[in-house]
Amino acid sequence: MHRVKKVEYEDDDLYSGEEEEADAEYTAEDRDNFATLTPVVRAELEEARLHASDREIEEALWHYYWDVSKSVAYLKNTRTPRPAQRTEKKEQPKSKFDQAVQKSAEKADWFRGIPWSDLPPAQLGLIVPCEPVTHRPMMLGGSSKLAKLAEERRKKAAAAQSAQATPDKALASLERLGRPREANENEAPLSRPDTKKYPLRKRKESSPPPREPSPTPQTPPAEVQPSLRTSPTAFGRVLSTNPAAVRINNAAALDEMLDPFADPSPDDAVLRITKAKNTSNELANKTKDLSLEQHAPSQANVKSKGLDVLKIWTEEKPKRKPSAAFVVIGHVDHGKSTLMGRLLLDTGAVSQRDIDRYKKQATELGKASFALAWVMDTGSEERERGVTVDIAQFHFSTDHVDFTILDAPGHRDFIPNMIAGASMADLAVLVIDANHLESGIKGQTGEHIVLAKACGVSRIVVAVNKLDATNPPWSEAVLQDVVASITPLLTASGYKPENVRFVPCSGLNGQNVVKAMSKKGDASWVAEGYRTLLEELESCVAPHDTEEMVRAPLRMQIADVFRGSVTNPLSIAGRITSGHVQTGDTVLLQPSNERAMVRGIEVGGNGQEWAVAGQICTLHLTEVDQQHLRAGDCVCDAKNPTPAAKNFVVQLTALDSILPQAVDVHVGRLHAAGSITALISTIDDAGEVERKKPRVVKAGQKATARLVLDAGAALEAGTRLIIRANGSTIAVGEIIRAGG
Amino acid sequence: MRLIKQNIERKDGSGSATLLPEEPEDMWHAYNLIRENDLLRASAVRKIITESGAGSRSVDRVHTTLTIRVTKTDFDPQAGQLHVSGRVAEENKHVKLGGFHTLDLELHRNFTLEKADGWDSVALDTLKEAVNQDAKAELWAVIMQEGLANICLITEHQTILRQRIEVSLPKKRAGSTDHEKQLQKFFQTTFESLQRLIDLVDPKPLLLASPGFTASSFQQYIKAQAASGGDKRIQRLLHKIVVVHSASAHLHSLGEVLSSTTVTKQLSDTKFARETQLMERFFELMRNDDARAWYGPRECEAAVERGAVGKGGGVLLISNALFRSQEIKTRRRWVRLVDEVKDQGGEVRILSSMHESGKRLEGLGGIAAILTFPIEDLDGGDEGGDENGGEFIHNGDDAGPLHGIEGRTEHVDIDI
Repeated sequence: MHRVKKVEYEDDDLYSGEEEEADAEYTAEDRDNFATLTPVVRAELEEARLHASDREIEEALWHYYWDVSKSVAYLKNTRTPRPAQRTEKKEQPKSKFDQAVQKSAEKADWFRGIPWSDLPPAQLGLIVPCEPVTHRPMMLGGSSKLAKLAEERRKKAAAAQSAQATPDKALASLERLGRPREANENEAPLSRPDTKKYPLRKRKESSPPPREPSPTPQTPPAEVQPSLRTSPTAFGRVLSTNPAAVRINNAAALDEMLDPFADPSPDDAVLRITKAKNTSNELANKTKDLSLEQHAPSQANVKSKGLDVLKIWTEEKPKRKPSAAFVVIGHVDHGKSTLMGRLLLDTGAVSQRDIDRYKKQATELGKASFALAWVMDTGSEERERGVTVDIAQFHFSTDHVDFTILDAPGHRDFIPNMIAGASMADLAVLVIDANHLESGIKGQTGEHIVLAKACGVSRIVVAVNKLDATNPPWSEAVLQDVVASITPLLTASGYKPENVRFVPCSGLNGQNVVKAMSKKGDASWVAEGYRTLLEELESCVAPHDTEEMVRAPLRMQIADVFRGSVTNPLSIAGRITSGHVQTGDTVLLQPSNERAMVRGIEVGGNGQEWAVAGQICTLHLTEVDQQHLRAGDCVCDAKNPTPAAKNFVVQLTALDSILPQAVDVHVGRLHAAGSITALISTIDDAGEVERKKPRVVKAGQKATARLVLDAGAALEAGTRLIIRANGSTIAVGEIIRAGG
Repeated sequence: MRLIKQNIERKDGSGSATLLPEEPEDMWHAYNLIRENDLLRASAVRKIITESGAGSRSVDRVHTTLTIRVTKTDFDPQAGQLHVSGRVAEENKHVKLGGFHTLDLELHRNFTLEKADGWDSVALDTLKEAVNQDAKAELWAVIMQEGLANICLITEHQTILRQRIEVSLPKKRAGSTDHEKQLQKFFQTTFESLQRLIDLVDPKPLLLASPGFTASSFQQYIKAQAASGGDKRIQRLLHKIVVVHSASAHLHSLGEVLSSTTVTKQLSDTKFARETQLMERFFELMRNDDARAWYGPRECEAAVERGAVGKGGGVLLISNALFRSQEIKTRRRWVRLVDEVKDQGGEVRILSSMHESGKRLEGLGGIAAILTFPIEDLDGGDEGGDENGGEFIHNGDDAGPLHGIEGRTEHVDIDI
């Protein structure tokens, strides 16, 4: 349980040498950065008709950890609002605050060398030292925890940035709140910052192949320059426009000044303007995320930009790279996770280095063959036992498609998790161990097929795995045998033959997964007759979002509630079933009937302005308490919510006999206790009532029944559900009527 | 419960019984015994307000023994308390006739019960069961899955949910240890609740049930706690832990848990084992759509009328919730049915509605029967509807209460 894992490996990395360098002189690396970044900052400043000395710029850069945008904003900021503050000082009696200000000002040689000559004449010479003092503690990461935190972030970002290309592209929209992206696990080791305090944002994602540029929202026309000057702080604004008001608003203004994070920072203004230039650049995303982090979690709300998501979505549709989520199903130990690990390794989404590391760790546990599965099985329990417990999500891209893997557990005890995965998928990959066909069909292979279909997955790729271990290896007869025994199961569950593909492969060795097999030798029939798993997956992708779906009111089932990061303490993940959502939207959470605001959206690890039906996304929420959120709850349109209900009339197809009894009801991630209280009627194939009030519904029959849940759930008519009892699926069906 | 004295007439069931409840479970028996209109005599604390001639009021709390005619019973399974409301039936110096009083039955205090319409066979059976002094099996069960734990006390007659712990656990995410941290926290919460609930000095067997590995992980957690903490009592508890499989953490999965062999061994409760066995048999027959299994009030009555629940394997399973009906008529109806089956030589099992198999039975309308011969279309007559649960309107009611009394004599053999 307390095993040393990958995570710890990172922790070492993160904790090494913290705080030691806080006071060190500039290193050579720093100087390099200065050399590259100073001209950029200067150029930016000149654009705004401001001057700053080298030293000043360097200092700003250093304190902001190479964040150009912030440094620029800061430098600009130090100039503009100053005069008004002077007036304030004159009028103020010498308060404690002022004394403190003076004290620290004595220590600070902050303004040495600043040329003040370029200020408008009316403002000349009105320099007040209190501004830097109020900013300084936060910026320098002095004593306050928040400041330290911010400092850490900056360092981290700086590291990422220094490894990236031109810093002048580093400016991006601030409104796009998003969870900061962690440096990718499989990217070349970046010049990491030496000092890291908190192991924040340890989440790793794969994205090495070039991703589709994040959809560019319609950008508002770039604002004109002057707005820059007015935007700095509310304090500055108030003072400069109405000096008389200062006295009245003094206390409030002071508060605001002391908390520079309470208002949109001047950065926002700069970023908003520059955003238009480069929205879709990765670096930009990073800096954007960074500037976001500056906001404390208590930060004021994000304003909705009122985007016409439907229109943008329609416009962008032709350009967009298709995306698909597939769930990997099959009996336990048939090699689902290993096959997926192989797929990721061979597409380059996971580096060989990581696999080697897993291999080493796995060998220590005596499970060397599980190394590939460890890409998916990240839990310590999963690794110890060599069994997938919960759905693992992983993104990867090929040249044509963005894929999301949902690796489902095969063990029968974790079928609730498998249902959760299948309900988020567009297609399914059924993994079958060619050597253990029988055990699979008796076990979960059969059940998974039925469940995947019941969750609405209509296309399936059957990966016949472990063909390298058959006797003789790569025997075509074995494959044909599998095809012959699986096809009837698939057709019985309602899969159309054109939606079913078979792929022979070996996950452990990677044959015919991404790389095609050679056309020589025993296995030549594979290369001749079958495509690789990846090709087959790509060919199966079909658009999963239609206009009606996007137009419909928002519905999303929460698959996970977690702490995204320090700045996003409450995040939820799930697939949007219908409708669309954008940052700043207020959504309603059911059945708790609580409102929440969407602070940020992430799709595939990238921050977005909006998301539409069919996408698996992460929403960062604010203005709601975590206790109102449970996996399985529904996020819905605040104006058009799903009411929570306890009583339902359902139409079922029985897989086992159904009596009025207590059952487990599964709808995606929702796992609720309930009971079938009455059997209303059995139905024949034509949909006609066969018999009213049957005493029992036998396997294979269709029936309508009354279902009562122990606790209310937000389920609508038409929702697919799965009914289980005593650990086996007894019926699948859908809701006909909710409530009443 | 101890029977202090009884003077129940064999012939008509009149008379009273004085009982001494000794443990919380006895309150459950009392709850099943005491009906509306019965006469209950127990000690009570009554607030007496006296007004003097000068108009000053003084309030006294008086310990007295009251006899009330029951109007309502209220059972709190969690606390094991029974409140019986009624009107005073015997005047004494403190209370006037007809005044209202709610008696809180207390452990180790006698109460005397006299049945309004005599002790019927079912009441006598309940009484017999209540005063059975055999060692009572008792165990704790934690039925759990990640993020949800139900801590229950399982006794011979009841399954009492004592604590429900629900935590929103983040799911596993690559590169995050949140899931594991929260899981440990969840274990901690569960274990702390458990420690508060169970008697560590003399621990009862503790059952941990879950799908997957959660239960065994929790066992590991307790072991780690026992090893690190200095509490010897927890180490003693360790030996009492049994880990079993369940399909989910929901309470209805307890059925599966309790029927597993590990548990039946622990419970060594033949009554319960037999009930579970019969329920399984019934469900098995239902699954095969065998016409020898029927459920629902009307169907079962029809089957009994035709003499199908008799000698040679006929079994009537009935929940004791049905006998707690407010309606005397309905109650009699079930008593009569039970008596009839006994007359016919069939087996009658009265299942506790608080127990697992009883709850399953409740889903089926509280009554089910395994017939000696198949009868098709027992429900055929009402194909046309009567949706609104007319099952309690029984046309045979006016067959007279006499019918039920015949079968009674053989059951009045309580000798304690």
